[in-house]
Amino acid sequence: MENTAVITINALTKRFPVGGDFFTALKDVDLTLGTGEFTGLVGPSGSGKTTLLNIIGGLDSPSEGQVSVLGQSLNDTSHKERALLRRKHMGFIFQSYNLLPVYTVFENVELPLILNKIGPGERDKRVAQAIDWVGLSDKRDSRPAMLSGGECQRTAIARAIVHQPDLVLADEPTANLDAENSHHIMKILVQLNEELSTSFIFATHDEKIMAYLRRIIHLDDGQITKDEKIENPKASA
Amino acid sequence: MLFKIALKNLLGARLRTFLNVLVTAFSFFLILFMSAMYNGMLQHAKQVTMDTEIGGGAYWHPEYDPLDPMTFEDAHSAPPTVVQALVDEKKAFPVLVSQASIYPGGRIMPAIMKGILPGQNIVNMPTDALSGHEDIAIPVLIGKGMASDTKLEVGDAFTIRWLDADRTYDADEGTVVHIMDIENFKLDMGHIWIPLNKAQTMLAMEGEATYVTYEKGLPTVQDKGDWLSRDINYLVQDMEAIIEADKPGAQVMYMIILALAAMGIFNAQVLSIFRRGREIGTLMAIGMTRPRVVGLFTLEGGLNAVLSAAATFIFFGPILWYFGAYGIPLPIDYSEMGMIVAKRLIPVYTIGLVASTTTLVSIIVLIVSYIPSRRIARMKPTDALRGKVLA
Repeated sequence: MENTAVITINALTKRFPVGGDFFTALKDVDLTLGTGEFTGLVGPSGSGKTTLLNIIGGLDSPSEGQVSVLGQSLNDTSHKERALLRRKHMGFIFQSYNLLPVYTVFENVELPLILNKIGPGERDKRVAQAIDWVGLSDKRDSRPAMLSGGECQRTAIARAIVHQPDLVLADEPTANLDAENSHHIMKILVQLNEELSTSFIFATHDEKIMAYLRRIIHLDDGQITKDEKIENPKASA
Repeated sequence: MLFKIALKNLLGARLRTFLNVLVTAFSFFLILFMSAMYNGMLQHAKQVTMDTEIGGGAYWHPEYDPLDPMTFEDAHSAPPTVVQALVDEKKAFPVLVSQASIYPGGRIMPAIMKGILPGQNIVNMPTDALSGHEDIAIPVLIGKGMASDTKLEVGDAFTIRWLDADRTYDADEGTVVHIMDIENFKLDMGHIWIPLNKAQTMLAMEGEATYVTYEKGLPTVQDKGDWLSRDINYLVQDMEAIIEADKPGAQVMYMIILALAAMGIFNAQVLSIFRRGREIGTLMAIGMTRPRVVGLFTLEGGLNAVLSAAATFIFFGPILWYFGAYGIPLPIDYSEMGMIVAKRLIPVYTIGLVASTTTLVSIIVLIVSYIPSRRIARMKPTDALRGKVLA
């Protein structure tokens, strides 16, 4: 499953201006991730997990170094090109779900397909399928305010995978969920990874997630301290 | 695509959209209503002037200048034959103008004394009231404003003094036979109206007139001698000049209401962008480009304007129609202030007014939607996702 490189990072450094000085969030990071990997960026708060995830997602730019995602160098791309890359090939899952409050479950999930200009018939079919994957068929017309945390996150997952992206970036996807919901969400993601060969990268310090990961990249103070591959994850779908 | 998302956002926001739309619709209504009132006021003033004073136009003695009473002494002669023929055919009526002094209640007051044909029905003045008073030395018709100033009532007698054609002062007793309630203050304030033949006798100007007013629709006669033809356009030019002079004031009012509407929408848009920072970040994260997000928010503002226009007609249309049909009673008599204002003012809505107001409000809404939306273009997606917005 893991063959071609989805992400290639060389000597990545990211600095943020703080007052009159700079804070180095990532320092000399080198990383390669292949297709279909189920990887976690693990580390304490402030270790640079989210910053790395944002740079991979083209939401932020590196200060130094080379970042290539899905064969496209993010150093040379415009905002528009990065937006198109995200639209077509990436999915995002956020800690606080980031669902649009005025949309129903169906409409939230439909949004990436509208952006990708998928026709209404095909859109309905794919949204129904994605909602079915995450087990929310009976909630398709509910608004986020009417859903539990687990249901909101499942909606966010459906939105992230509905256009069948090559890469899904998940930032602390279970941080706001209880243990049962966390396991439920992770099982769904493992299943999607296996069925669709979608690559997943998690930023997390949640032990429950780590139990499902097949590769764990430890970050501390903006540097990779350990990169371990797990042949047999503790938990499985 | 953007349209669909913008519409979904607007309809999905329910109460927020409803309140935004209602405020904009109210401003829309106010702009329309105020402009229509202003139009109605001007149109009414013009119409009243035409109905009560101008008719279809007039022929003036060459010396006559209504704004200079000193000309009245010399501004009289027999009307040209063709003009007199119109009078004989009852298609026109003559008026003889002179200065006079009146002494109501022992006080002296200057007045413009006008002799008018009592039987005329070309202008809307109750001149019939001057007929059939053979027992009265000088039957006098005055307006309500003049009656109030002079404290005269029907049946009151007062002294009138005048200078006749032979430059001789004479005086006699006038009696108020009728007090007319007329909206045209120019026929009221400082005026006394008496029968034409009486005026001609008093002034020793038999068969003479100062001007002749003719009915609407008559062509201008030739061979009018040295008398001057004054058509409607000429006679309303003063009114139009007043209207023109008043335009800047009306435009300031218009701009104030428009600015209020624009501020409401601007405020709503700024609030939207502040409140919806995370939503903007999410849209960027799932692949919407910045220009598209700006376009989306601008479009939402534009749709707001469209919904507001629709809401104006739904919520305020009946009110606009009611006032358009039945008018609005005004509590003050503006004639004493030298204004021709109806006691019941009827707003006039024209297609031009509705179209220009709709277009202008829509353009303003688009501009005030776009300006705060530009902030989005400067926003980093990571900041937006954290709900952090540029100040």
